[in-house]
Amino acid sequence: MKIIRPKGPEIFDIELEKDLLAKNRGLARENRKQFDLSNILAVDIMGSIGSGKTSLIKAILRKLGMGRKVAVVAGDLTTTIDAERIEMEGARVIQVNTGKECHLDALLIRRAIDRMKLDDVRVLFIENVGNLICPGEFPLGAHKRLVVTSVTEGPYTIVKHPYIFREADVIVVNKLDLAKPMKISLSKLEKDAKKINPSAPFIKTNALKGTGIPKIIHALGLKT
Amino acid sequence: MHEFSISDEIVRDVLDAVKENKGRKVLSIQLEIGELALLNAEQVTFWIHELFKGSVAEGAKVKVRTMKARIKCESCGYKGGIPSDPQSSLRHLGPPTCPQCNSFQFNIEKGRECILRKIQVVK
Repeated sequence: MKIIRPKGPEIFDIELEKDLLAKNRGLARENRKQFDLSNILAVDIMGSIGSGKTSLIKAILRKLGMGRKVAVVAGDLTTTIDAERIEMEGARVIQVNTGKECHLDALLIRRAIDRMKLDDVRVLFIENVGNLICPGEFPLGAHKRLVVTSVTEGPYTIVKHPYIFREADVIVVNKLDLAKPMKISLSKLEKDAKKINPSAPFIKTNALKGTGIPKIIHALGLKT
Repeated sequence: MHEFSISDEIVRDVLDAVKENKGRKVLSIQLEIGELALLNAEQVTFWIHELFKGSVAEGAKVKVRTMKARIKCESCGYKGGIPSDPQSSLRHLGPPTCPQCNSFQFNIEKGRECILRKIQVVK
């Protein structure tokens, strides 16, 4: 009998149907559960390089005066400069170095909180990597997302990055004192922000002097 | 902007699946990237080709399809796609406004995914 067999090697399909970004979102939901269980309010602080993320966190910590009841995850590519600056304010700090990555992701946050004693921590600030693009796509599980921009970044930062400003619960414009020398119209920036995200409070700050910090604390639902 | 890390993850998933299924060679992989994902298809393809080198997937075809976005407007109730403007390099940053009422208040229901659909393997 003549048997007909297929020629050559067998080719087959492996169906994977794997959403690579969904994995991060799932982990972020788990982080959120962990924060809720531990009764912690988690805040993701995003903003471009040099916008004043660390200075803002330092100013908030000073105003809050909650000492080691506040923990900070400091995300950076390679150095520990920011972690050391924050540690001076008395909060617990854990440094996460992303190496080559342009953003923090939910897995890095999970590893960080696993290594931290969260027993009496009430507030967790997560300082994201300086970047206005990638962090928007990688939720970490924080309850609130704050985006800080500064007047020294020029007049178009908000309109150029609608994606991340849309995601924000609080929008901060820092370096208020430099608006005049930089010829920046704060009302124009506010209009840009309100157009993209009308529900997010728009707060003007000078983090080094502490201006506007109580408004941030209030907007984040922290004690005043 | 995070094309490298996503590509690295895709390559690992592909090679794991091939090993698990005792494949000898990968012929092609099929990806679908949402038009609002912050990923550039050309760069993803480049990195996957680079990272496949020296493995059973070296030389495999990388097929990328674009998934259309779908938004739901909270102001006027519009449900549907966003106007296509293939010329705009900032398209992935999101539609600036609802195509029907120009509101900024809309939810993105689809179009931010990056899905590894399937791979074609020689046994």
